[in-house]
Amino acid sequence: MFTRRKPEIAEQELARIPGAENYSRIDVWWWLVALVVGVVILLSVISPDPYWRIILFVRDGLGITVFLTVVAFVFILILGMLGGLGRLSKNWFVHGIATLYVELVRGVPLLVQLIWWYFAFPVVIQQIGKWLHISILANYQSNAIVLAIFGLVFCYGAYMSEIYRAGIQSIPKGQMEAARSLGMSYVQAMRHIILPQAIRVILPPVGNEFISLLKDSSLVSVVAVADMTRRGREFMSTHFNPIEVWTMIALLYLVLTLFSARIVSWLERKTEFER
Amino acid sequence: MSSSELMIHISDVHKRFGRVHALRGVSLDVQKGEVLVIVGPSGSGKSTLLRCINRLEEYETGKIVVDGIHLDSAENINAVRREVGMVFQSFNLFAHLTVLDNLILSQRVVRKRSRNEAKDIAMSLLKKVGIPEKTNAYPSQISGGQQQRVAIARALAMNPKIMLFDEPTSALDPEMIKEVLDVMLTLAKEGMTMVVVSHEMGFARAAARNVIFMDEGQIIEEAPPEELFTSPRHERTKLFLSKVLSL
Repeated sequence: MFTRRKPEIAEQELARIPGAENYSRIDVWWWLVALVVGVVILLSVISPDPYWRIILFVRDGLGITVFLTVVAFVFILILGMLGGLGRLSKNWFVHGIATLYVELVRGVPLLVQLIWWYFAFPVVIQQIGKWLHISILANYQSNAIVLAIFGLVFCYGAYMSEIYRAGIQSIPKGQMEAARSLGMSYVQAMRHIILPQAIRVILPPVGNEFISLLKDSSLVSVVAVADMTRRGREFMSTHFNPIEVWTMIALLYLVLTLFSARIVSWLERKTEFER
Repeated sequence: MSSSELMIHISDVHKRFGRVHALRGVSLDVQKGEVLVIVGPSGSGKSTLLRCINRLEEYETGKIVVDGIHLDSAENINAVRREVGMVFQSFNLFAHLTVLDNLILSQRVVRKRSRNEAKDIAMSLLKKVGIPEKTNAYPSQISGGQQQRVAIARALAMNPKIMLFDEPTSALDPEMIKEVLDVMLTLAKEGMTMVVVSHEMGFARAAARNVIFMDEGQIIEEAPPEELFTSPRHERTKLFLSKVLSL
């Protein structure tokens, strides 16, 4: 384990050669974000009908897309951490539950999962309510946004569990042993020693997951959530201009994803320098 | 320091790694203020024995009592770990924390000391091990010898009654070995109870009351250092010493 870290240390030393940090601080990919934003503005100014009208129409959907993604991601980070720790647990029951969850969820398409949570889950709850004579459950009314967030969290939590697991396993065993030998409990050692280091390791894949989630959130448009994709479809169904609508929707997603990628990359560099 | 207070009592400990019988009925006692050095070929179980003392390794049968605390329940294991400092071959400093924070964190988390109190203790210990100026460096920015001295200071910050050293100089370049051994000698002179797995004969001669030779999971021979190194009684000890000393 220890020898594996050696190249990493060498890289850090290289990065500290005076002058090198100045190159890495200028992130040229910000220009791509600016370019795409520029195209969106240009189209809206040159031809406000339909482009500016499309933006005004899907504006609330864009808000919902961002809201869904951010809220779901917070829960995904928490569920992923629990799942990852569960996968590493020595308790066979906890390990079994976590592994079963990861294996099952990864084997079913996200779209099918979202449809199941929205259409099948409420019926299951109502049936159980009727069976047990619990009126709150029997009269359960599904909320599209809540179930969409639930579906995204449930699915992405499984992938995030594996990222956490790999990140925690990448920290040399000696770190845990040193923490335990100083008298820290397992939880204290995880919180103060292992997770802070693992989070730096997993930041790039976690950032990827965020961007994937942003894109996959468009799938909730099939389960009655008025996100940006669904609003686009609504606009098209009244105006019949697929090229303009879907070009603008694609550009708006690009602005979101490219911007997120820059934020992730900035975070990565920030934590790198703190070492 | 000649009071015969028993700090570590090990009796008939057995440990298996799958099919490998790593410890085969090891028994030994360490008195307060005693420095015990354990030598032996690789795979002889000496590190495993050391790691059993603070329960980094579990053992199947036998009894270990540290400072009157029986190593049986999770509660007792944590109590023992608070009293026992450990120094590792690969230092194991917390890579994401500065030297100073490496010393402060466990004092805050385990001993519940205030930041200022922990910092004062940390600074005085860093002065003691000879690195008061590198407090804001990260472990990867200092030499192996310095890292190991910080690791010793980190363990001392918890006010341990016993210090365990698991091959503390094996990962060091030759010119850095002395700086670490000097710190260990100082500790020994101050009366710290120490169990040291190491082949540093010079340290054993200078500090140890007894040296143990282990092979194949058993204690083969225990004697004062001069006696064990110059006139070992057992064939296996002779064979091992001839290999180590000829280097």
